[in-house]
Amino acid sequence: MAVAVAPHVTHLPAWVTLLLLAVGAWRWTASLRGWPLPPRWLRIVAVGGAALAVFSAYRTLNGIEAGTALLVLMAAAKLLETDAARDLTVLVFIAWFLLYAALLREQSLLSAPWLLFSAWLSTLALMRVHAAATDARSASLARHTLALMTQAVPIALVLFLLFPRLPGPFWGIDTGTASRTGLDDEMTPGDVSDLSASGEVAFRVRFFGAMPAPEERYWRGPVLHDFDGRRWRRPDAQAFPQQPVRFTGAPIRYQITLQPHARRWVLALDLPSAWPTRRAVQSFDYTLLAARPVGSVTAFDLTSHPRYAAGATSLPGSMRRKDLSLPRDGTNPRSVALGRSLAARHGGDATAIVRELLATFREQPFEYTMQPPQLADNTVDEFLFRTRKGFCEHYASAFTVVMRAAGVPTRVVTGYQGGEYNPYGGYLIVRQSDAHAWSEVWIADRGWVRVDPTVAVAPERIRGGLIAAVGADEPVPGRLRDASALWMEVELGWDAVNDFWNQHIVRFDAAAQFDLLERAGFDDADWRTLGLALTGSLAVFFVSLSAWVAWRHRPPPRDWPARLHDAVVRRLRKRGLAPHAAEGPVAFLERAAREHPDLARPLREITVLYASERYGPEPRAADLQRLKYLVNSLRP
Amino acid sequence: MTRLLQSLRARVERRLQRWILRRQGRDTDPLELRRNRIYILPTPLGIAYAVMLFAMLLGGMNYNNNLGLALTFLLAGLGLTTMHHCHGTLAGLRLRLLAAESGFVGDHVRFRWLLENASQASRPAIDLRLERASGSAGCPVEVPALGIAEAELCLRAERRGWVPLERFVVCTAHPLGLFRAWAVVHPAHAAVAWPRPSARDRAPPRTATDTGGAQLAAVGDEDFAGLRPFQSGDSLRRVAWKAYARGQGLHTKQYAGTSVLSHVFEWDSLSGLGTEERLAQLCRWILDAHERGEAFGLRLPGGEIEVNVGVAHRDRCLNALALLDVRNTALA
Repeated sequence: MAVAVAPHVTHLPAWVTLLLLAVGAWRWTASLRGWPLPPRWLRIVAVGGAALAVFSAYRTLNGIEAGTALLVLMAAAKLLETDAARDLTVLVFIAWFLLYAALLREQSLLSAPWLLFSAWLSTLALMRVHAAATDARSASLARHTLALMTQAVPIALVLFLLFPRLPGPFWGIDTGTASRTGLDDEMTPGDVSDLSASGEVAFRVRFFGAMPAPEERYWRGPVLHDFDGRRWRRPDAQAFPQQPVRFTGAPIRYQITLQPHARRWVLALDLPSAWPTRRAVQSFDYTLLAARPVGSVTAFDLTSHPRYAAGATSLPGSMRRKDLSLPRDGTNPRSVALGRSLAARHGGDATAIVRELLATFREQPFEYTMQPPQLADNTVDEFLFRTRKGFCEHYASAFTVVMRAAGVPTRVVTGYQGGEYNPYGGYLIVRQSDAHAWSEVWIADRGWVRVDPTVAVAPERIRGGLIAAVGADEPVPGRLRDASALWMEVELGWDAVNDFWNQHIVRFDAAAQFDLLERAGFDDADWRTLGLALTGSLAVFFVSLSAWVAWRHRPPPRDWPARLHDAVVRRLRKRGLAPHAAEGPVAFLERAAREHPDLARPLREITVLYASERYGPEPRAADLQRLKYLVNSLRP
Repeated sequence: MTRLLQSLRARVERRLQRWILRRQGRDTDPLELRRNRIYILPTPLGIAYAVMLFAMLLGGMNYNNNLGLALTFLLAGLGLTTMHHCHGTLAGLRLRLLAAESGFVGDHVRFRWLLENASQASRPAIDLRLERASGSAGCPVEVPALGIAEAELCLRAERRGWVPLERFVVCTAHPLGLFRAWAVVHPAHAAVAWPRPSARDRAPPRTATDTGGAQLAAVGDEDFAGLRPFQSGDSLRRVAWKAYARGQGLHTKQYAGTSVLSHVFEWDSLSGLGTEERLAQLCRWILDAHERGEAFGLRLPGGEIEVNVGVAHRDRCLNALALLDVRNTALA
């Protein structure tokens, strides 16, 4: 039970866990001391109270979270009346269900051995409940359970591979409430650097063809338009027309496998040009959005063009207004003034303004750091003119504000930049530490142009990643790893295993099933082939399983004299001679010798040899040989 | 509605029983349970298990959760594996009647069965029941590998005479209780139900033997006649404990009677009573006489049992009472 509950502890409210522990402890002492179990009415009150408490905490009894809490409480309540085998069985069933709920939450590679272990443990519990009558020892029960599981695994494997998968949800599912690491739809200074402190994998990308150069690896997440002086937000309403995009250059085809992040962003390579239209849509600002929040490991086959002209012809007035707007309360006055002076100097030439602003970043003593100083009210002013230490979101935010003040439509794009190539798996790993923020500037005739102010400050961030860009004393995840080549190899290898797990186990679906069948030699695999293959292999397993069970129950091997005696009986049967029910081997042989004088000589010798081999103190190999010879040469 | 359902169910059950009997025929003794006569179905627990798995399957498909599905399939595989094990636990078991023990009407007759396991794997949790569905689990026995175990079936004795064991069920729910395998056995065995003894209110008539003390078998209880070696069945009251204490071994004291050498309980002496009352009375006398260690004989319409002592003699007399058929007075 404890094993089943353990993975939920971090997700359950503390009181639920404590209650279960308390009840468990009470029950333990009660069974040791022989205290009576609580009366029925108390148990009913306890169960009702538990349901009420869960309902008041979650406002529902449905869904994984509330359901799990309820199950745990039910288990606690069941502990109060655990007496009969039936109650214990129910407890085992609850444990199975909890295990299942935990898997709905977490499907990592490490959960597989844990699954097997806890399934074994709960089955053992059931076995013990059932074998209570017999006085079997724990060790033999454990062995027996293990044997059962071992035999169950092939069947499970066949079912897993061949059981028809119906795609898609049948009813609504909640994936939103669980907190996941990943990009949010808003950004305050410090958010991205916090995210960057995590070495978790955000997604993995497998390229079909050439990989883009490191400076082209911009993975597009949510685009932020609204600024309130401190925080950037994605607008709630998406009622803007999408501007047309013209792609040039070679396409890049790839498959992106997202770790669950409970949001809809697909993090396509800038700029996606083709995607599975039934599973994803593109927002007006070119972010690719999955049809549902990504609650499990999900893959998309995408095409991107790193060279493009987006919205080059015109910018609708509503969008221009949105991407020029600054907080009305006059925060960050110095930055706004800077923007206006830039605009005055270059007369609205956006390209020149960008160039001069980037030059400012490059030439002034700006510093790229993961641990920027705290900023108070006028975040942009303080950053630009006082602290001058910041992470990518500081630069993107300041750049965008100044550009907007200069009258150039600009927006903040968040996402990831870079990625690490894994030679073991042949794919790119993009981690949370690769989280990034940059800007997009609308320039007439060129459209939306990506400008990454971080490049001006720390060009090595783009080429060599975070570790190359920040000081040696900063808490970059994986710095330790980089110090040792061996450790790095190990980690990349482990990641490749995880990726394999994700690709082939977690994401195994109907398409993969058909693929498997076709590789096994079935042409044009369809549902019928699948059904046939499933039935066929199950039948094979059933037959071999029952054969194995029968073999386990085989009689012990007979010793040689006994087998030879059987042979004699078989031979004598041809003469219509068979041993009576109460006739021993020796008696039978003697009778046979009496009734058939022509066989008397060999039969008498056989009798003597048989008796001495079977019952004598020292069986001799030579006698056994002689016996074999006599029996084989018996010709009735 | 429920009654209709019940009667329907009972009819189906009867049909099924007849079909099984036609299919298998009467069974021999000893009997080996072959594979083709073992039936298997999920228990209520197994059905609940299947429902749980189905819910898990739906959930796993809904959430597209492959690990959840993996657990579901693993448990499904486990269920199917236990099905084979359950079947295998029963297949090849050998049954042999040890004894059909008689009992009095109103009490039970017992059929003691020997379960033999000639295989190298043990057969745990084997249960013998009269009906498959009978809720009260008996006490399952484990038949060890290459070993034996004993199990018994109790049948209520409703009327005197033969109580046949029409059919019974050998079943097991090993290993997880998700499936129950069972075999129906139609043995050709019966036990005898003796008449229920009446109350102790009528003394047996004393019948003097006509030959005095000349008959060897005529053993009374008045004059000490000597000692003879103890035989099983002799009353403990007659054991010569003093001789035993002297280290001369167990001996039984023998008496020669002068006034009464033995009892012969007669059907005809109870003329005022109905058949069953007479049998009950005779039964009581026999039991009392046996209890006291006295010799007795029995005279019934159609036959007579000589005066004798011992458990076997008592049982013979009681059997005669149980099987008495007054209409054609055939004495077994």
